[in-house]
Amino acid sequence: MIASPGPDDDALLARYAAGDAVAARQLLERLAPRILRLARRLLQDPVEAEDVTQEAMLRLWQIAPRWQAGGAQPATWLHRVAVNLATDRLRRRRGVGLDEIAEPDDPDPGVVEGMMQTDRLRALDEALAMLPDRQRVAVVLRHLEGMTNPEIAATMGIGVEAVESLTARGKRRLAQLLQGRRDDLGYDR
Amino acid sequence: MSQQQWTDVPDEAGLDALFAEARAADPAPPSDAFFARLQTDAQAAQLPGAAGPVTPGLWSRLGAILAGIGGAPGLAGVGAAGLAGVWIGFAAPGPTADLVNSFWQGAASVSPRASVWVDGTETALDTGSADLLSVIDGEMQ
Repeated sequence: MIASPGPDDDALLARYAAGDAVAARQLLERLAPRILRLARRLLQDPVEAEDVTQEAMLRLWQIAPRWQAGGAQPATWLHRVAVNLATDRLRRRRGVGLDEIAEPDDPDPGVVEGMMQTDRLRALDEALAMLPDRQRVAVVLRHLEGMTNPEIAATMGIGVEAVESLTARGKRRLAQLLQGRRDDLGYDR
Repeated sequence: MSQQQWTDVPDEAGLDALFAEARAADPAPPSDAFFARLQTDAQAAQLPGAAGPVTPGLWSRLGAILAGIGGAPGLAGVGAAGLAGVWIGFAAPGPTADLVNSFWQGAASVSPRASVWVDGTETALDTGSADLLSVIDGEMQ
């Protein structure tokens, strides 16, 4: 997921820091669509997703002169910044701290009963939006962005076991939430 | 995707198919306007002095000096010592004899006479320090 063809991101970032405008464009073409897609999936708001992407890219440009090649990959670093920025926005939306968000264990199909959308992906997005932030991030990175658990661990700044726990709980919760949308999903009754 | 493929939903295995469908969906690429904004940001950050190797500024250098003396705790110690010096200068404390006496707890006022220092039953000396030296010389001889 992280690897890209051509010059590696480290080299491009070094060239950017040295004043190479072409390197900036290559990095943008390589990284910005991924970050924008991730931000859209996490925030489900196109305007906020663009804001997060712009801020994350700006931070990459700012750190470029001090970037140490051979450490974290720029793409991983950028994903982490984007996840943090998106999580901050999700917290502000909810007005409560991340740790204060309850992670319900019991199925609550009633939460989704009122939804009338028929598109499966829309149903998935809406169910994802109901997950606690960390579960949502882990599930999106694992199952929609296709990152490996170690990559997710690096992106979220947590251990691999925590990633496994978050994705398992998130997936279980998603299944519970989507149970109320069998018709939307084309699920045979 | 056929209806049959969704018969497992909402089992977690069915979710995998839903995830695969979401991954396969072609997300809208960044709009031209947005991409142009990103490029503008990149160029602005790349301007000389904005993104190139930067000479450490005054604050950076002060920060380095501060780090060299142990960071904020070190600075606090230096500051406290400086303030103590200023206070001593203004307060002009009096002679320090009393302080010395209290430190030695009276030892400084002990009589130098030999009678105080040796057992009177052995030497019966009640002489000054010069006499004591002569006594010691005699013993050595």
